[in-house]
Amino acid sequence: MSYFFQLVISGIVVGSIYALSALGFVLIYKSSRVLNIAHGQLIAIGAFLVYALTVWVKVPIYLALPASMVLTFFMAMSVERIFLRRLIGEPIISVIMVTIGLMSILDGIIYLTPFGSVNYSFPAVLPVTPISFGGVSISWTQLVGVIITVILIGGFSWFFKRSTLGISMRAVSDDQLAAMSIGISVPRVFGLAWAMAGLSAAAAGAIIGNITGLNFDTLRAFGILVFPVVILGGLDSVFGAVVAGIIMGLIQQFAGGYLDGQWGLSGTANVLPYILLLIILLFKPHGLFGTHEIERV
Amino acid sequence: MSANRWLATGNFFTSYREEQRIFFTHLDRLIFAAFIVLLFAWPLFFELSNKYMLVINHTLIAVVAVMGLNIVTGYAGLISIGHAAFVGIGAYTVAGLATTLGDSHKLITHAWPLMIVLSGCMGALFGAFVGLPALRLKHLYLAIATLSFQMIFEWTIHFMRFFNQGQTIYIGRVHWLTGEVGRSSHYVFWYYASLVVVVITGFGIRNLMRTRFGRSLIAVRDNDRAADAMGMHPGLTKVYAFALAGFMAGLAGALHAYLYRGVGIESFTLHHSITYLAMAIVGGLGTLHGAFWGPVAIEFLDIQVEHLSAWAAQIFPAQGNLATALRPFSFGLVIVLFLMFEPRGIANWWRIARSYVKLWPFRY
Repeated sequence: MSYFFQLVISGIVVGSIYALSALGFVLIYKSSRVLNIAHGQLIAIGAFLVYALTVWVKVPIYLALPASMVLTFFMAMSVERIFLRRLIGEPIISVIMVTIGLMSILDGIIYLTPFGSVNYSFPAVLPVTPISFGGVSISWTQLVGVIITVILIGGFSWFFKRSTLGISMRAVSDDQLAAMSIGISVPRVFGLAWAMAGLSAAAAGAIIGNITGLNFDTLRAFGILVFPVVILGGLDSVFGAVVAGIIMGLIQQFAGGYLDGQWGLSGTANVLPYILLLIILLFKPHGLFGTHEIERV
Repeated sequence: MSANRWLATGNFFTSYREEQRIFFTHLDRLIFAAFIVLLFAWPLFFELSNKYMLVINHTLIAVVAVMGLNIVTGYAGLISIGHAAFVGIGAYTVAGLATTLGDSHKLITHAWPLMIVLSGCMGALFGAFVGLPALRLKHLYLAIATLSFQMIFEWTIHFMRFFNQGQTIYIGRVHWLTGEVGRSSHYVFWYYASLVVVVITGFGIRNLMRTRFGRSLIAVRDNDRAADAMGMHPGLTKVYAFALAGFMAGLAGALHAYLYRGVGIESFTLHHSITYLAMAIVGGLGTLHGAFWGPVAIEFLDIQVEHLSAWAAQIFPAQGNLATALRPFSFGLVIVLFLMFEPRGIANWWRIARSYVKLWPFRY
């Protein structure tokens, strides 16, 4: 039974990271209807920035995390400014293809740095001995990661509910024309959405990097694992992303814990989300909490 | 129709039937025929090294795959980020039979044209399955569906012992009328085989776009509601498009398997899907000859990147291979730049050059 609870705990940990990764993705989709295929690269860059700041520049980690979040904030904003601003008004399909190209470009840039080929790991700041109660254990890194995630998601929810900028972002996602007519600058909101996505991606990257180590392939994979999460939660729902993130984390942990080794299977945790994605697309395409008015073909 | 059947300085169509002709003038037809004859004849006079023959064959196979991708992304307006997986389905159809029957079974070595068609059919089957969400959803979701198919495909190959867990599965040498195709003639032989497939499928698609299905594809892309109102079934049309793209990808996959005489997962990863997409975009989406320009341009770029990184490695000796970094960077940059500044691709330059020549010495 304690095995079961152990899986539940690690499922929730992984799931909250998915939720944080999915958050930035949903932000961009909500405001501009663009699927950001390059999200995993943003996560990876965030993680590498935190590492570079802490280990190479020797900034303490509690300063390095906000600093790298600020850096990715401006990086994502300038990405939007350079590549995507001039595509406003073009068909959405070409904007999505631009993000595919962007993914390739960022891949190339990361391969130029040492991070593309060498696996680093963060120096241990927190106590190494895990907290355990009744046979179930959780490491300090995981605990702190979950706490940071909860704080950030809470902060984002407050931002959307209360602040003027957040409300104008919601207005743009609702109806661009109406938002423009009451004086909201739609391109600025798009830029802001990208910037916020970059910020949350850096936080997610730092947490993942602390838990699993800095492997480019692992970090990049999170950008693609975001798709099953957001499809399950509904593409345009922040709350859905949180719930679906945790569900997906639990599914992955249970698959890894119980399915692997049966019938000669291995690595099911990596494929089950995608199989689930195809099934959801066939039967309940708007996900758990997505807007129901999906345009039929 | 112009009075001169050889040269025309403008369009003189008086009926839709005339507008749909493949060749407008006799000169067009003559030039095209000469081009095809040249493609078939040059290996008789020149002998290229195996290295360059391999590049040329690889390009031809990419042309087949990109023609398929062009149906889905160009004509039907749906993004497919899993095209390499469909190519892989074709290759692994051959490889799967090679593992069950033995890699030099008669079916694989003697009946290879049949195997190529069979691989195409397998690709079509999987294409139709992945395209099923099209019955209900818009293109955004299809991009995600194809991406997840790519992931499922890679996992399945990696973790199944039947497919040698992604390691190379060997395929025997094929036989032809003159006996076994040996080492010396292998590349020339597959050059001709790929060229025949390219010509047949190229004419096939050119004609398909004149039929009811081809035009309904374009109608659905441009305005699906209007297409629906005119009695077409947008969802089914898209599923057919996916099946057709899968068929072309399957053909390419089987050719790939035979050309390299082995199948391994490293040729069918997400990176390759993006390369195919880059080829389609650079060539020009929604045009047939774009499917020829794109692979040629990207393969050329690839060779230049290799040269550049080899040159740079001499000047700055760095750890690791510089090409692994420069390749995705340059492909991504090419995709982004073309989408931003020339969304109609190289095919558009070709169109401009053609109309200039056609109207010369007048401007328009």
